Amino acid sequence: MAEFMKKLTLNGRLAVVALLLGFAALFAGSPYHGAGASVNTKELALVMATGADQVGVTTLADWIIQGKSNFRVVDLRKEAAYQEYHIPPAENIPVAGLAQSSLLHNEKVILYADDGARAAQAWMLLRAKGYQGVYILRGGLEAWKDSVLFPRIPGNPTPAQLVEFARTREVSKFFGGTPQALAGDSASTSQVVMPRLAMPAPQAAGGAGAPKKKKKEGC
Amino acid sequence: MMAPFFKYALFGENISLVVAFLVGIGFGFFLERAGFGSSRKLAAQFYFTDLTVFKVMFTAIVTAMLGVYWLSVFGFMDLSLVYLTPTFLAPQMVGGLILGAGFVVGGYCPGTACVGIATGRIDALVLFVGIFAGVFGFSELYPRVSGFYMSTSMGQLTLPQVTHLPYGLLVFAVVLMALGGFIGAEWVEKRMAARKVEA
Repeated sequence: MAEFMKKLTLNGRLAVVALLLGFAALFAGSPYHGAGASVNTKELALVMATGADQVGVTTLADWIIQGKSNFRVVDLRKEAAYQEYHIPPAENIPVAGLAQSSLLHNEKVILYADDGARAAQAWMLLRAKGYQGVYILRGGLEAWKDSVLFPRIPGNPTPAQLVEFARTREVSKFFGGTPQALAGDSASTSQVVMPRLAMPAPQAAGGAGAPKKKKKEGC
Repeated sequence: MMAPFFKYALFGENISLVVAFLVGIGFGFFLERAGFGSSRKLAAQFYFTDLTVFKVMFTAIVTAMLGVYWLSVFGFMDLSLVYLTPTFLAPQMVGGLILGAGFVVGGYCPGTACVGIATGRIDALVLFVGIFAGVFGFSELYPRVSGFYMSTSMGQLTLPQVTHLPYGLLVFAVVLMALGGFIGAEWVEKRMAARKVEA
């Protein structure tokens, strides 16, 4: 064999190598690894324990208002629910479609569903598939409604609380929500209407002018 | 960058530009080394007197295929992350014919035209201007041809999907095809050289 190789030109030797590698491929099977995956359980446990796997709803609201675009928000619910309402920049990807989605391994991805469980499952799937920047929206859409869209604001706040409540109110209005007065009388809390989807536009887009201005004051 | 290393988050967007720059320089260097900076050499391909283009391109295909295949088999690479250009059969056939005609007439393809410009060839520069005139013309015509442009969409296809043959078998078949092609190309070149002498 060595004698034979020595006699060949460089091109001939390369051809022999290619032929051997090609022939061996006949028996090496498919290069796709299929649906299997492996996880570093220690690393994931640490991330879970420190809460580094989650993003709060108010933090996400701030990012959207600031017009940040270095993250993607994924709505894991059914399409009908997504059509009814979703957090403004969110795209709809059901859990079963995550593997075929256009998400990149190095993107910051924020997952949410109605509550935490579905999002946690999706988080685990994506981490196992090697996606690094995956986060769960803490409390899911319920927390988004409670803290961002319809925050409860006490009727008689202390002066110190006033500033914070004014800010909360602006954020809520930006996303088309209605702050709920928490004065004790039930009449004021009865009107919980989900905002229209066309309303909330990120700062960058030239959408509705009014909330845009107000938000700038808030910052 | 379409390479899986970027999607794997081994480096970010900024570094990916640096990597693209280095890969581009490497690509240009090897095109020049193969003699592809000369339109005479490239055009000779279509008269069967010099099949270097065919041999270089097929060598690159086989090398890349074997590399990607074996790296994936050994788990160094995730083949599912590699971007595949979607197939639009009819428009791509027409586009290929137009590019081929331009290649014969001008003596360059877009990549080799850049290489030719780097070594100061005026014909390459003229062709490069023509490329952008064509891009501009197409963009202006796009609303009229967009129906055809998007027709016969077949998605992201691979040979194993189309032929339903095992992946390894196709790898071997492509290698055999390439080696057969090289032998055939050398034979054709010799015949054409002999004919030239006779004439």
